[in-house]
Amino acid sequence: MSSAPVPSIALTTPNMSAGNATFEPLLTWLTLILAQLERTFYKVPGSAVIARYVRSSHQNDPGRTVTLMQSRSRDKSEGKLIKFSEKEIDELIDEWTPEPLSAPLTEWEQRDLASVPVIAGPNGPKPKILSTGKTVINLASYNFAGLAGNEHIKERAVETLRKYGLGSCGPPGFYGTVDVHLELERDIADFLGTESAILYSQGFVTISSVIPAFCKRGDIIVADRAVNFAIQKGIQISRSTVRWYDHNDLKSLEDKDRRKRGTPITRRFIITEGIFERDGEIVDLPKLIELKHKYKYRLILDESISFGSVGRTGRGLTELYNVPASQVDMLVGSVANGLCSAGGFCAGSTIRINGTSFVFSASMPPLLANVRAVRAVLEKTEGIACATNPTTVMPPPTGPSFDYEAEEKILQDIVDDALVNGVFITRAKRLRGQEMVETRPTVRIVVTAALTKKEIEKAAGVVKGSVVKVLGKRKP
Amino acid sequence: MAILTASRSPCSLSPSPRSQDPFWVKKRYSVTQLSPITVTSHLSTVHEAEVHSRSRTITRTPTPVHSVTPSKTSGDSVLDESDDHNLHAALTSEKTSNTVQSEFGHCASQSYRYISQHNPDKPVAEDEIEEPPYYILFTTYFSYLLLVVIGHLRDLLGKRFAKSSFIDLMIHDGYTPLVSDFQSFYARRLVQRVNDCFYQPISGVAGRTILVYDRYSEDFNRTQIYTGTTTRALNVSSYNYLGFAQAHGSYADAVEESIKRYGVSACGTRLEGGTCDLHRTAEALVARFIGTEDALICSMGFATNSTFIPALVGKGCLVISDEHNHASARIGVRQSGACVRMFKHNDMGSLEELLREVISQGQPKTHRSWKKILVIVEGLYSMEGTMVNLPKIIELKKKYKFYLFVDEAHSIGALGPHGRGVADYFNVPPSSVDVLMGTFTKSFGAAGGYIAGPKRLINSLRMRGHSGPYAEAMAPPVLMQIVATTTSIMGVSSVDDLATSKSTSHQPTFKSSTNRVAMSEVADEYLHPGMVPASALPTWFSLPSSLSDGSEARERIRRLAFNARYLRAGLKKLGFITYGHPSSPIVPLLTFNPGKMLMFAQMMRTRKPTPLAVVVIAYPVTPLVTSRVRFCVSASHTKEDIDVVLRACDEVGDILDLKHGKGKRWPIEEIVKRSVELVHSI
Repeated sequence: MSSAPVPSIALTTPNMSAGNATFEPLLTWLTLILAQLERTFYKVPGSAVIARYVRSSHQNDPGRTVTLMQSRSRDKSEGKLIKFSEKEIDELIDEWTPEPLSAPLTEWEQRDLASVPVIAGPNGPKPKILSTGKTVINLASYNFAGLAGNEHIKERAVETLRKYGLGSCGPPGFYGTVDVHLELERDIADFLGTESAILYSQGFVTISSVIPAFCKRGDIIVADRAVNFAIQKGIQISRSTVRWYDHNDLKSLEDKDRRKRGTPITRRFIITEGIFERDGEIVDLPKLIELKHKYKYRLILDESISFGSVGRTGRGLTELYNVPASQVDMLVGSVANGLCSAGGFCAGSTIRINGTSFVFSASMPPLLANVRAVRAVLEKTEGIACATNPTTVMPPPTGPSFDYEAEEKILQDIVDDALVNGVFITRAKRLRGQEMVETRPTVRIVVTAALTKKEIEKAAGVVKGSVVKVLGKRKP
Repeated sequence: MAILTASRSPCSLSPSPRSQDPFWVKKRYSVTQLSPITVTSHLSTVHEAEVHSRSRTITRTPTPVHSVTPSKTSGDSVLDESDDHNLHAALTSEKTSNTVQSEFGHCASQSYRYISQHNPDKPVAEDEIEEPPYYILFTTYFSYLLLVVIGHLRDLLGKRFAKSSFIDLMIHDGYTPLVSDFQSFYARRLVQRVNDCFYQPISGVAGRTILVYDRYSEDFNRTQIYTGTTTRALNVSSYNYLGFAQAHGSYADAVEESIKRYGVSACGTRLEGGTCDLHRTAEALVARFIGTEDALICSMGFATNSTFIPALVGKGCLVISDEHNHASARIGVRQSGACVRMFKHNDMGSLEELLREVISQGQPKTHRSWKKILVIVEGLYSMEGTMVNLPKIIELKKKYKFYLFVDEAHSIGALGPHGRGVADYFNVPPSSVDVLMGTFTKSFGAAGGYIAGPKRLINSLRMRGHSGPYAEAMAPPVLMQIVATTTSIMGVSSVDDLATSKSTSHQPTFKSSTNRVAMSEVADEYLHPGMVPASALPTWFSLPSSLSDGSEARERIRRLAFNARYLRAGLKKLGFITYGHPSSPIVPLLTFNPGKMLMFAQMMRTRKPTPLAVVVIAYPVTPLVTSRVRFCVSASHTKEDIDVVLRACDEVGDILDLKHGKGKRWPIEEIVKRSVELVHSI
C-alpha cells in the first residue's frame, strides 16, 4: 500500500526538474522520507498483515480499494450524463415506448406447449394420460430404479408427514433444519462414502449454487463444452475464468490444463457431468481423477443422472468405475431423478458451503427428505435392469442439413405418434439461444427397472414404428 | 366461580397459572423415546380445562367497543361449531390431540382479532428509521473493530505457531486453499463466535412451538455436541404466518390422501412428462386466489425468481431493484444479462429520480432507449418488515411505463383482509401489477413458489423459463398442501357445488347442508376473489365445513393481524427500536451491538419457564450497525403467547440496555391489559 506513492513521485521528478531545478532537492528529500516511512511501517509488528489486508481487499485491482471507499451505489458514468432540462426529460418519457413484457409465443411454441402431456393420477412406469384417458408406457421420466409409486416409500412419507408436517417454514439457518435433513445428509455421505453432504431443495439449483460457492472471480474453471444448463448458469454466476474443453475429450482437457510457470497458484476446478444430460455419454472417471491429481485441480462432478442409476447398488459413477467417492472433491447429485423425490445434494470432504440458495432459501419439506426408505429399496434392487447406459438418446433421423426447427417438428411428430400408440417419450427440451452450445434436437428415451423386458421391447417397437411412419410421410 | 375462572385466560400457554406445566419443562428424552400416552393424557386434561374456561369466558369477552369483526361473520354459533369440531377430533382420535396445542394455539376471544387493511383516507406512511444514541453506534463500531483486530492477531500467531489447524488456509500439496483466509475471515473470526444461534436443528413441526435440539460446544463453536435432549420452545422464528405448518388436521389429511394416490414425486420436469392433473388444478387455484388470469408453479421458491426473471428481461433491458431485494431476485437478474440499477429502500422519491434519469439517458454508452424497464420490489421485506408503497408505485408506473414485478414471498397470505397479499392490503386490483410472484413456503406451510399474471405472459414463462425444461416438477404432496390451504382461505362456493353434484356421480363429501346459511352470508362479504367452485377441486378431496366455508382461515388471517400489531405496538411501548410497517408480521427489534444480539438469543433460548426460539440477524444480511432480532408472529400464537414474548423482551431488554426508542413508555402490565386498545391505536 505504501509502496505505491514512491514510484509515482519518482516519475514526476524529471519533468519537474526540467522546469525548476530548485525543487529537485526537495523532491529527492520527499522520496527519501516516503521510503523511510515505508521501511518504518514494515518494521512495526503486524504491519505486513495490514498491508496484506488492504492488498487482498482490492484483489487484483488497486482501484477497487478506492472505489469501495466511495459510495457504492454511485454510477461511474455520472460525469458523462447528458444534461436535460426537466421539460426535455418529460418529453423523452412521453416518447418512450417499451417493448411488451413478453413476446407472444410463436406458433411452434404454442404447439409445443399444447403438446405437453398431462398425466391423470400418479406418474410411474405406466401413467394414464389425461386427454386421452389411455394408459401408456412411460419412457420419459427418470425413474431408473422404478421407485415411483413404491408403497413402502409412501408409507414412510405419511409417517414423516404426521410427525413433521409438510413445510419447514424457514431457511436452514433459522430453525429450518429438521433432524430428518441431518439424517439424510449423513445417509447420503455414508451411502457414497464421503465425509459429509449437504442438501438443497431443488435439483436444478443445486449445482448452479454449489459452483459459485467455491469458484470466485479470478479462479480457473475447466469445463466440458456440453455440460448441462444448470452448470452453465452456475459458471456464469461465479465470474471465474472459464476454459472449455471439447465434449468428453480428456485429451483436450489435458491441453487446457497447461499453466504458465511462475504465475501464482489459483484455485482450479474441473467441472463435468457423470452421465451427460445432453447425449447420455459417460465420462471416463478414473482418467479424469488421474488428470486432476496430476495437475492439482479440484473436481466438481455432476451426477444428477448417474446417481441412483448406474453402479451395482446405484451409487453412481464412482461405484461403476470402482473409484472411492472421496476422490471426487465435490460430488453433486440429484435426489429428484434417480430416487424420485425432489432436491439435490453436494457431497465432499471439505464442505464449507456458503451457497446462496442454501442460505437464503427455505429448506425442503421433511417428507421429501425421507430418502432413507429409498435407500433400503435401492440396496435390494440388485443390478439395475439395464446393463448399458440407461439414458438413451436417439440421434435425429434426418440428413446432414441442420435445420433446428424442422428437426424439432419431425421429432415432435414422432413423440406425438408414439403417444397415440401408447408409449410416452419426450423430446429433450431446451431453451434455444440460451444454451452455450446449440445441440441437435433429440428425443430422450429413459429406461426404467419398473418395466419388464417384454414391455420395453414392445415400446421400442412402437417408437421404431413411429419413426418409420413419420419419416415415411415426409419423404414423398 | 365465573369471575374466578374468567381471570384465567381463555387461551392456554400462559405461564403463570401453569408454570408447572410439563409441556414447558425441559424434557430429558431422546426423540424416539417420547411416550405418547403421558403427553396425550396430559393434553386431554389441558383441553378439558380449556373448554371450561372458554365456555365461561365467551359470555364475558367481546366488548362492543373493541369488537373488530362484524358480528354477522363471527357469530358465536359458527365459532362454537368450528371449535367443537376441532375439539371433537382432538378427543376422539388420540393421534390428533397429540400435537394440536403445540402446533396451533386456540384463541377464542373475538376481541383479539384485527383486519389488516390500508385506510384509504390516510396517505401511505413513510418508514421512519429511529436512530440510537451515539454511544451505541460508537460501541457497535468499536466491537467490530476489536473483533477484526483480535481475529487477525489470532490468524497471524496461529499461522506461525499452530500450523496444523490452519492447514486448510494455506497452500498444501500444490492445492490453493478452497477459501482464502481473507474470504473466510468473517466466517471464521466473527460468525463462528455467534454460531450457536444459527443452524440449530429442530424436530417435528415448526408450528406455534418448536422442538429444539440441545447442544453445546467445547471448542468455541467449531463443533457442536448434541446432548440428545430437546427443549420445546415458543416459536417466534418460523415464517408460519397463517399457522398452516401442522402435522394434524384436515390439511395434513388431504396431503396424506395425495401421497397415497400420487406418490411422492412427479418424476420429471414440467415440460418433459412431469405434469400431472394436480399441477393444473393447483395452478388454476392459485390464479384464482391471486386474482389473475393464470399462474405457474415452481418447485422451489428461490428458483422461482432465479429461473424465471431471465425469461422476462434480457440484454438491452433495465432492471430497477430495491436495494433490499432478496438474493434470489438478484441472481435472477444477474443471469438475465440485463442492466441493474438500485434505488434507496422503499424510497419513492429516489425511484422517481432514477426513472427520470435512466429513461432520459437511455442505455449506457450507446444512449439507445431501453427495450423495457422492469421494477422489482418486494411486498414485505423479510429483514426490515417494511411494506412496499404499492399505490405510489402504480401511480409512477402509469407515468413512466415500466413493468412491475412484486415479490410477495412474505406478504402473500400474511397481508390484506382476505390474505391476498399487498395488493389486497391496499385494495389495488391485482391486474395493475404485471408480475406477481410469491412463495408457498411461508404462509401456506408448503414449499415452492408461483408466478401469476396474464395468460399470455405465464404461457411464455412456462416455455422460456429455465425451470420448465430443466427443473423437476413440484411433488404432489406439496401441491396438495397448496390446494388445501388456498381452498380453505377462499372457501368453496355452494352454488357451483350443486351444479357439479348433478353432473358428476362422485359427490364431494364436504357438502354439509348445516352450514348453508352461514355460507351464503359469507359469500356476500367474500366477493373479492370469489369462492372456488367445487368443480375446480379434485373429486376425492374434502374439507370439513368450517374449512370449506372459509371461516376458519379468515380467523387465522385476523388473528395474525392482531398478533402482528400487538407485538410491534407492545415493543414500541416498552421502548425498543423496531423497524417496519405496523401491520407486518415480521417485527425486527434492533440490538445494534453484535454481542447483545448473541446474548439476547441465548437468554431467550434458556428462559424459564417458557424458552423462546428467536432469529438473530447481523451483517452481511443487514447493514453493519443494525444487528437485530427478528420476530415472526403467526396466527398459531395466542394473545398470551405474545404476552410471553413481550415480558421476556422487557426483562432481557433491561439487562442488555436495548430500550432506546423515543415516545411514551408503558409498563408491561399496562400493555398486556390494554392490548386491544393498543392494537387499534397504531
